Amino acid sequence: MTVLIVSAVIGFALAGTILYLVRRDHLHGSYAVWWLAVAAVTMLLATFPHIIDWLGSTLGIAYPPILAIVIGMAFTLIRMLQMDIDRSRQERALRRLTQRLAILDQELGDAREQIAKSQAGAIEPDATAARRQLHEVDH
Amino acid sequence: MTALPVLAHKASESLSSESKSESSVDRGAALTRPPGRPDNALFYKEYRHLSRKIWLRPLLAVIPARNEAATVADVVRGVIDTLGCDVLVVNDASTDDSATRARAAGATVIDLPLNLGAWGATQAGMRFAQRNHYDKVITLDADGQHQPRTLPLLLEAMDASKCDVVIGTYAQRLSAAKRFAWWYFRLLTGLPVQDFTSGLRAYGRRAVRTLASRDASLLDYQDMGVLMLLYEKGFQLREVQTVMSSRSVGKSRVFASWFVVARYMLHTTVLCFARVSVRRRIRARVAAAEGSA
Repeated sequence: MTVLIVSAVIGFALAGTILYLVRRDHLHGSYAVWWLAVAAVTMLLATFPHIIDWLGSTLGIAYPPILAIVIGMAFTLIRMLQMDIDRSRQERALRRLTQRLAILDQELGDAREQIAKSQAGAIEPDATAARRQLHEVDH
Repeated sequence: MTALPVLAHKASESLSSESKSESSVDRGAALTRPPGRPDNALFYKEYRHLSRKIWLRPLLAVIPARNEAATVADVVRGVIDTLGCDVLVVNDASTDDSATRARAAGATVIDLPLNLGAWGATQAGMRFAQRNHYDKVITLDADGQHQPRTLPLLLEAMDASKCDVVIGTYAQRLSAAKRFAWWYFRLLTGLPVQDFTSGLRAYGRRAVRTLASRDASLLDYQDMGVLMLLYEKGFQLREVQTVMSSRSVGKSRVFASWFVVARYMLHTTVLCFARVSVRRRIRARVAAAEGSA
C-alpha cells in the first residue's frame, strides 16, 4: 500500500510541476503538448501502477517493471533525436541571422556616413548638429 | 530631393567605368570608385532597368579574419595594390583590433557578432557579394600566407577556362600528415582535387549564389563540404599552382593539434558518408572527364 502512495505522490508532483510550467508559459507550443501528455501518462500510471504489470504479463515479459523503463528510455531517445534536429535547424538560422546582421550593420554605417556627408554639403550649419546626433546614436 | 543630383552624377561615373570594364582586360584598373566604398543601394534601385551587365561590379576580395591584427592590413593593401578591387574583411568576432586596422588599410569591414568559424565568415562575404551585385569573388586568408601577386593568376585561369571555381594550390607545402589526410579524402569522395583546404579560391557568380544559399550554411569547414556541394550542382572546378609563403604569424586553424585533426577527420568522414550519392556522381563525372581527355 505504501508503495502505491509513494508512486502516486511522485507522479502527481511531476504532473503538477509540468502543468504549472505550461500555465506560466515557460514551455511553448509543441513542447507544452508533449509535456502535458507526459503529465497525463505519469498521473495515470501513478494512480493505477498495475497497468504496467498487466501489460507486461500480456506481452509475456517475465519482469514487467522493466517494460516501463524500456518504454521510457525509447521515448527519451526519440525526444533527444528530435531536439538535435531542432538545434541544427536553429543553428542554421542563427548563423544566417548573424551574417545578415553584420551585413546590414555595415550598410547602416555606410548610409549614416552618406547622410552626414550630404547634409554637410547642403547646409553648413546643420552638419555639425547632424554629426552630433549620429554620435549620440552610436554611443 | 537634394540627393538626386548626387545620384545622377554617380550614375554617369559608374556607367562609364563599368562599360569600360566590359572591353578592357585589366578589370582592376577599370574601377574608379575608391576601394571599399560601395555606392548606396538606392542607386541600384534607380538604375536597375539598365542592363544587368552594366550595374554588375566586377570583383570582390573576401578575407575572413579572426584575430589577425598583425597581418590583415598588409594583406588588404597587397590585394588593393594588385587588383584594385573592393576588399571585404569579414571580422569573425575578433578580440583584437583587426577590424580597425583593416578599415584603415582601405577595406570594407563587416563585423560578425558571433564567432562563425572560417566558412561562416567566408559565407558572410559571399552573401555580401550577392547583395551588392558583385560578379566574382576571390577569397584568401588574412594571415598572409597567400601572396597577393598570385591573385591575377586565378582570375586569368578562370577567364581562360570558363570555370566556375578556381582553387589556388601549392602542393609542396604538404606535410606527411596532410598528404595522408588528403589521400584519404580523395579516396572517400573521389574529388579530383589536390589541395582541399586551400583558402585561396576564385568563385564565379553562379557559384557564389549557390554557396550563399541555406544549403551551405551548416558546413563547418570550407573544404570538403563546399567542394562536394559545388560538384553536386555541376560546377566546373580547376586548380592552379601558386606560390605561398609560410605563415608568418599564427597557425593553421584546421591542422592545429592532433585532437582537432581527429575531430576534423571524423566530421568530414561523416559528411562524406551522408552524401554517398554525390560521391557516385563525382566519380562518374571524373571518369567522363578522363575519357574525353
